[in-house]
Amino acid sequence: MIVPLAIYLHIPFCRTKCTYCAFNTYTNMDSLIEPFVDALIHEIRIGGESKPGQAVGTIFFGGGTPSLLTPEQIERILAAISTYFDVMLDAEVSLEANPNDITQEYLSELRQKGINRLSLGMQSANSSELKLFARRHDNDQTARAVSAARAAGFDSLNLDLIYGVPHQTLSGWDWSLQQMLALQPDHVSLYALGLEDGTPMQEWVAKGRLPTPDEDLAADMYELATEKLAGAAYEQYEISNWSKPGHTCRHNLQYWRNLPYAGYGPGAHGYADGVRYSTVLSPQRYIKALENVSDPSVFPHTPATHEAVVVDRSAEISETLIMGLRLTQEGINRKTFVQRFGIDLVELHQEVIEKYVNYGLLHVDTEVVRITQQGRLLSNMIFRELV
Amino acid sequence: MNRDNIRNFSIIAHVDHGKSTLADRLLQVTGTVSARDMQEQFLDGMDLERERGVTIKASAVRMNYRAKNGEDYIINLIDTPGHVDFTYEVSRALQACEGAVLVVDASQGIEAQTLSNVYLALEQDLEIIPVINKIDLPAARPDDIAKEVEDLLGISSGEMLRISAKSGIGVQDVLEAVIERVPPPKGDLDAPLRALVFDSHYDSYKGVVAYIRVIDGKLNKNDVLKLMATNARFEPVEIGIFSPGMKVIDSLGAGEVGYVATGFKTVRECRVGDTLTLDVNGAQTPLPGYTQVKPMVYAGIYPTENDDYSDLRDALEKLQLNDASLVYEPETSQALNFGFRVGFLGLFHMEIVQERLEREYDLDILATAPSVEYQVLTRTNEMLTVDSPAHLPDEGTIQEIREPWMKIQIYTPQEYIGAIMDLVIKKHGEYVTTEYLDKSRVVLHYRIPLAEIIIDFYDRLKSVTRGYASLDYQFDEYRPGDLVKLDILVNEEPVDALALIVHRDDAYHKGQKLVSKLKELIPRQMFVVPIQAAAGKRIISRANVSAMRKDVLAKCYGGDISRKKKLLEKQKKGKKRMKMIGSVELPQEAFMALLSLDDDD
Ligand SMILES: Nc1nc2c(ncn2[C@@H]2O[C@H](COP(=O)(O)OP(=O)(O)O)[C@@H](O)[C@H]2O)c(=O)[nH]1
Ligand code: SF4
Ligand SMILES: [Mg+2]
Repeated sequence: MIVPLAIYLHIPFCRTKCTYCAFNTYTNMDSLIEPFVDALIHEIRIGGESKPGQAVGTIFFGGGTPSLLTPEQIERILAAISTYFDVMLDAEVSLEANPNDITQEYLSELRQKGINRLSLGMQSANSSELKLFARRHDNDQTARAVSAARAAGFDSLNLDLIYGVPHQTLSGWDWSLQQMLALQPDHVSLYALGLEDGTPMQEWVAKGRLPTPDEDLAADMYELATEKLAGAAYEQYEISNWSKPGHTCRHNLQYWRNLPYAGYGPGAHGYADGVRYSTVLSPQRYIKALENVSDPSVFPHTPATHEAVVVDRSAEISETLIMGLRLTQEGINRKTFVQRFGIDLVELHQEVIEKYVNYGLLHVDTEVVRITQQGRLLSNMIFRELV
Repeated sequence: MNRDNIRNFSIIAHVDHGKSTLADRLLQVTGTVSARDMQEQFLDGMDLERERGVTIKASAVRMNYRAKNGEDYIINLIDTPGHVDFTYEVSRALQACEGAVLVVDASQGIEAQTLSNVYLALEQDLEIIPVINKIDLPAARPDDIAKEVEDLLGISSGEMLRISAKSGIGVQDVLEAVIERVPPPKGDLDAPLRALVFDSHYDSYKGVVAYIRVIDGKLNKNDVLKLMATNARFEPVEIGIFSPGMKVIDSLGAGEVGYVATGFKTVRECRVGDTLTLDVNGAQTPLPGYTQVKPMVYAGIYPTENDDYSDLRDALEKLQLNDASLVYEPETSQALNFGFRVGFLGLFHMEIVQERLEREYDLDILATAPSVEYQVLTRTNEMLTVDSPAHLPDEGTIQEIREPWMKIQIYTPQEYIGAIMDLVIKKHGEYVTTEYLDKSRVVLHYRIPLAEIIIDFYDRLKSVTRGYASLDYQFDEYRPGDLVKLDILVNEEPVDALALIVHRDDAYHKGQKLVSKLKELIPRQMFVVPIQAAAGKRIISRANVSAMRKDVLAKCYGGDISRKKKLLEKQKKGKKRMKMIGSVELPQEAFMALLSLDDDD
């Protein structure tokens, strides 16, 4: 079986920085965008040339804020990918956007250039939460962005929400969910707020200026969401992801199935040909790394590669498990697992599996091992024992 | 050298009054250590000592000095520890001397260990030379303090030396006073050899190195020697003096201080306090020996990882080579598996040992709450000693439990009497009497159960007196007490390593506090974990650690799986440091919860 590659493109620019965000992204560097696009195209070329004829099944513009790129820049990037890789006809091409950066005109152009899936960072419908996040949009803008996307012809649309926020109440969360459902997205991602080191949010909580989010309340929020989304005919397929039939995110599935993906752009991550790697973080260094390169690279390395490790069998197994068990329906297929690693999963991790089956967090049958409804919120416990 | 030109002395002082600083100056003035090689606190060789600024082990050094009278002298300085836990080590060192320089801080005056050290010196019949130190401090009150010392020792305050060890003022006078006032060693050079082992350290090449003071006779490098108590015979690997490093010499005669490297691999053959003599034509009667010190405080020490048990055993064995007061024996706990019951001279000693195990031996260890040694009289009139609450027999079989009581003396400015009184009463102490040191400072005498002062008494005393009080204690007697075992049950199972013995009056209060502290410390698990305290068979307090509901990772961005995995691995490592009690994971702090109980009441 030939597995097509997924390509992740990291666009490390934002207008302003959100207060919870620890992603590799920079503000006030607009002058670097054009040189960055050139460098990215260069990196794509080097990548493609080191793996001629490689099929590509999904492309994902992530960030950062990819919607800061012009349609022309996006077109050039996609053209480079098509030139140096073998992009499949039905490829999924996603782009992340902030509700306030986009107009219908802009979206129409993107649609024409080949973007076929849009992911909007809604985050909340509640203006006080959006302020706390320092997002530059309100709920009306999100609604307008969704209509614009629909009008521009996007028939695959994702909305992101964040729960477990300081001061957030269950009813406030309920309202965000209602607003989100009213916009009828095809796909929904719900993320528990993580307090990341170095973010203002983390500092405010550490200094007591914001209350520590209550874990039990966050659990209640998750359960409420699960119920509401099921009621609205969304199917959960991953711990944090729900979709209408036929709208699962194929790009992210590639990660969860522990299948190969290339990451291009500063601070991108990739995993291909048994190597896990990441690229240099700073856009300046990234651009520099790709200037005046003449020697060919060995796939998946490029001149921007910063760290790379060869994934040995046991690491591959544990990564396959901690990613695959996130897939709430699919789980880990035992037969596929045997084909990949030559050993039965249940035999390999008998003790751990038995333990969590007893606790009711894991389900095992002859075909799959997957987490149960109860296991979704406690999945980390299981993962911890599998790394 | 003529024995009349030898002086052996110690410096004694309360902690921080300047003993180490004065020793440093003496080494410099006599040229024993050049200014270039001078490191502050030269005799405090152990890293830990220098860091904490506390002398833990005694050590001995020979200085050569030409006095004002034009004669050359050998002066042996025997350093002593200044902490209350190590009173016994002080007494051993003093037995090797004829005199003691008593250093008293000119701003602090007489404190607890000033007194206890003076008593030890008087017991040995030593010539005491009082010295008022730190006269350079703005807060110095040398005349007042000299008067205090005069009242204590009956030495005229006018004659008392006033010095600054730090700046060097008067340091030479100290040496002159030692020569004038400390008598030269007596002893019979022609009698059979008798030398006192007053300390030792372990050297991996030379074996146990015994620090000796030759009382009678002479010791040559080729003599076959014998230790009188253990009958162990050996040919010395080498003999020598500390000047201040180990320096080999051919012989040591009566009155001299030096060392013998025995080659022994354990302290069992060469005990501190033993008398060294010749194997052939040796002495008949040993010198009055020391008594083996008894530990005051016991605690379980366990490796965090069961696999490290034998490393812990080796480390304790090695530590004991340098620290004869450390006693231990294997112990098993249902909760913590294999470890050791270790006896310490006091809490400070316990802390030092714990730190050395962790630092010098790189071990991850877990210590249970400290306990004292109880005497338990059973209904069948058997007397048991119990140094671990886990081993207290069933209540029904006990006739009486006796606990050790201490006499304590607290030296304090008058204004803190009320606060100290409250503290002592809360700890079940009994007031004995108050003595006035001067118009503003007093010594409060109490009796108090040892168990009450080993936990946080010293810290609390310091805090209620803003650091001004000092404490000394001596064993008093065993007394029957109304004591009960406080069991802690986690998930319905009693955890032996968490059990305590407490006064019945305190059981309820302590049980409640311990339960709520544990509730704070124990992370949420997959299921509800009840925590209970039980006195006798009765549950007196209960709290639940509610079940964990959410344990998920945040968004994985752009396929950054390594980060996720690293996070999981880190968490897994953290979990590994926990102890599994049945199916409950207990963090290490839980076993020391008792120590932090009183923080907030
Ligand atoms: N101002 C002043 N400080 C001194 C003097 N002697 C010692 N000290 C300081 O007092 C503290 C305790 O001294 P140290 O010799 O370690 O005391 P020890 O605990 O008795 O050995 C240190 O900070 C010394 O620097 C002195 O004569 N004058
Ligand atoms: S827009 Fe997205 S990437 Fe940019 S700062 Fe906000 S959360 Fe981070
Ligand atoms: Mg000292």
